Amino acid sequence: MSAMDRTLGILAATLALALAGPSAHAAGKAKPAAPAAKSAQAAAPAPAAFTPPSNAVEVRVERIPPQREKYATLRFLKENRAWIRACYDRLKEKPVGHSGAAESVDPRFLLYQRLLAEVRSSEDSLTAAEEERKREELFASITDLGKLEAQLDVMDRLLTEQRVRLAELEQDFAGRQQTSLAIVVSGCPAGLALDSLAIVLENNVRVSVPLSADQRAELARGGVLQIFRGLVEPREQLVQVAAQGGVGLSPAPGYLTIEPPRDRLTFLKLDLSRLQAQAGAPSMTASTWTLDSDLHANNDSPGP
Amino acid sequence: MSDQGHGTMRPLRHAPLLAGAALVLLVALAPIEGAAHGPDHPHVGARQGVEQTRAAAVVWAPDAFLVYLENDETLDPDGAAERWGYLYFSPGLKKARAYSVRDGKILVAEDLEMTFEAPPLASQWIDSGAALAAAGEGGGKEFCRDHEGRLDTMLLTRGAFQDGDPDVTTWTVIYGAPHAASLFVVVDATDGKVRRVWRG
Repeated sequence: MSAMDRTLGILAATLALALAGPSAHAAGKAKPAAPAAKSAQAAAPAPAAFTPPSNAVEVRVERIPPQREKYATLRFLKENRAWIRACYDRLKEKPVGHSGAAESVDPRFLLYQRLLAEVRSSEDSLTAAEEERKREELFASITDLGKLEAQLDVMDRLLTEQRVRLAELEQDFAGRQQTSLAIVVSGCPAGLALDSLAIVLENNVRVSVPLSADQRAELARGGVLQIFRGLVEPREQLVQVAAQGGVGLSPAPGYLTIEPPRDRLTFLKLDLSRLQAQAGAPSMTASTWTLDSDLHANNDSPGP
Repeated sequence: MSDQGHGTMRPLRHAPLLAGAALVLLVALAPIEGAAHGPDHPHVGARQGVEQTRAAAVVWAPDAFLVYLENDETLDPDGAAERWGYLYFSPGLKKARAYSVRDGKILVAEDLEMTFEAPPLASQWIDSGAALAAAGEGGGKEFCRDHEGRLDTMLLTRGAFQDGDPDVTTWTVIYGAPHAASLFVVVDATDGKVRRVWRG
């Protein structure tokens, strides 16, 4: 596969995902994915055959959720919860015995404040007058060349400030990444009328995506459909996926283990083309990759 | 003597069989032992896991901040551990979520069942190694020497154990001993000075 093919593949996927951007699901909120589906439909007229990037790795879809080793955490806190909470409770505000109501201020104190303010005002006036006098003397002695230099200095300063502002913007928009996951599907199972896909992420995030006939047709033509995009915790986690359809399609869910790296966009692609009616979701194939590393990989190596 | 001679010869006749059985047993047990102990993981200071857990916590709740941490595995003499636990609190959700990090990866992510409303830790704090060194000089080493004590726990909090100045983020280093009350050494996490020592 040439570098151009890979780049086109990524561009096709990125375009589909960018079009579906407004439908992005925030983590913890499950919404219907109709806008995403519409976006895929909008990109439908000429779907480019989607090719996974070179750094994509296959993810096993399992029938039974894998067992994870249990680890205890914060044991001291849990064993001594009452004592530690009591320590924190001491920090909280407590009502005092006497009244906290305001009392009258001695009018003399207010008078002193006014006198002090007048003194400072007078000083300011004197200082301003002195500065004005000096400024007039300075202007009188400055030549036209001096004025020009001053203007150049101002322009130089403005340019420097502009650079600083641009650097701040670049830092905010290009430097700040968050850990996120995009789930896309491709392919269409032969002879199966797939009605919808159901995704369950950890922390009980549930996404149900109905598939219209048009969308199934686009998937069959090589299109890609984004069904979820949102923030996820950068840790190993389980994704449950189930396919729902007409008569004969098993509702058995499949389980995938992914580990999104911190501050990167991770793609999880579910390939429906091998979905079998009796086996259900576990017969899907899946792959995952991160967006950034793929772009770097394409930049670094031109490919065969 | 002859009986003893027979006694020593008899096992030798079965030696190859026994050796083979022992070998089979060793081979069979080897993976189990390996799985039980698991691979070694690097010991690190508490600060190593902060960024990873913060990235996770802001996904859980954008307003979450770090309020507490402690070692999840045994501490070594340098104040490093294989695994550290971090607790974040969200004022918006009024909930706390714990993360446990080993080898740069989050192994545990769970909501804390108890209510734990605590102030945020200061942004700058000395790492566990420096805190342990200060605690050792502040009485920890002497305690271990005199009472056959050992280092049990290190935890980082703000205000909980420092009544005089509740705004200070402090390390609390806890030493245990088989026949003596535990020693608590509170170290200022900003300047590394010992603020408080007590037995309990």
